[in-house]
Amino acid sequence: MPDALPDLFAPYDEHTQPQVPIQHYAGTYTRNPRRPPFRRPVTRTELTGPLDLSAKLHPGDINLAETNGKPAQGQLIYVTGRILDEDSRPVAGALVEMWQANAAGRYFNPLDQRDAPLDPNFIGNGRCQTDATGRYGFFTIKPGAYPVPNSNKWWRPPHIHFSILGPSSLSRLVTQMYFPGDPLNAVDLLLLSIADREAQQRLISSHIPTQQIEGEWLGFQHNMVVRGRHATPPL
Amino acid sequence: MSALPNSPLVPAGWQTIGPFFPRTFFNEGDNDLTRIAPTAPPTALGETIILHGHVLQEGGGPCVNAVLEAWQADALGHFRHPLDPGHAKADPAFMGWGRAWTDAEGHFEFRTIIPGSFADTSGPRAPHINLGILGSGIMRRLCTTVFFPQHAAANTADPVLAVLPAELRPLLLAQPDGERDGLRVFRFPVLLRGEPHEETPFFLD
Ligand SMILES: [Fe+3]
Repeated sequence: MPDALPDLFAPYDEHTQPQVPIQHYAGTYTRNPRRPPFRRPVTRTELTGPLDLSAKLHPGDINLAETNGKPAQGQLIYVTGRILDEDSRPVAGALVEMWQANAAGRYFNPLDQRDAPLDPNFIGNGRCQTDATGRYGFFTIKPGAYPVPNSNKWWRPPHIHFSILGPSSLSRLVTQMYFPGDPLNAVDLLLLSIADREAQQRLISSHIPTQQIEGEWLGFQHNMVVRGRHATPPL
Repeated sequence: MSALPNSPLVPAGWQTIGPFFPRTFFNEGDNDLTRIAPTAPPTALGETIILHGHVLQEGGGPCVNAVLEAWQADALGHFRHPLDPGHAKADPAFMGWGRAWTDAEGHFEFRTIIPGSFADTSGPRAPHINLGILGSGIMRRLCTTVFFPQHAAANTADPVLAVLPAELRPLLLAQPDGERDGLRVFRFPVLLRGEPHEETPFFLD
């Protein structure tokens, strides 16, 4: 068995995970079960997962900052980081999907009916596969904040949605990345749904010093840890 | 992010996919587990079936734009993954993974094969399909498992189904739902939140 595959999955620490319901978010009241989940043995089905997913989910959309050669509006940014497991081992070959609002805080999605401008040169969806060191990277623009409808002026801070498909079905992760220093972070109801303050802070990316980035991109570093360890502890 | 040796990192917090998971992420054939790529020929192993159903929320209304991800063994009960001791015997024409999304009625559909059973260290696993459900307002993936009524003896011995109180086990059985194009159809209704006797049982992720 390759060393890099996790084979031990402990339950999540509840304090590091969001609790529901969340005020002003109706779906959190109607779509989460009343009954607590049943604890099951971890069998082969949960331990394994698709290793050849790129045949179905095609990677390659890593430059979102232009469409058909035309630049998107907004601050150019480069978002990069590593996908790691709980033993700090890189997760190579993971598929990383991301989607985000445009600079005006509107999604290129027919379901987003807010009266903010669409940018024809910004779709805002990307997908890539991590390299041998677990690294991913996207060239994009900084998303705008947007208000949540019927929420007493709850504005989502600028954020990027991430979906990660790793080497086990139990290392699946869907999360959001936030930007350092934004005053809306401290009052965002989705971030605050995580009780543990350090766990909240881990969803906030960090600046990369401008000297370290080639070209005119502002760099943000964001590592994401997916669940999974190796049963034999590393020496 | 730096950690001392042997000092485990903490997994990231889950967040909802929100209302705007891109439709363009879905490709033709993503919900067809019988093909490893849209242009690949279907696997020759196993009985092809259609598995479909509605995802409903509290009150019985549809959960629109839910994302369902399926993972299952091949027709002989193998996974093409190094953690399966039998992985060398796994069907190379079967990936075992598919993704579907619900429409305005909350309806989803997969085309797949009846998975094989296998012996696990926890006990003999009956034929089953693991489903992960994501959606706006679902803050953490909801995990459930589809079993098949024609494998009653295997279901009785399954170590995961056994975790549930007996009266809830029928909720995880797909229901025979006729035929289409010569394929057997199975229906698996999902109720995300409801009365105890009808809410779909979920497993700790
Ligand atoms: Fe969002």
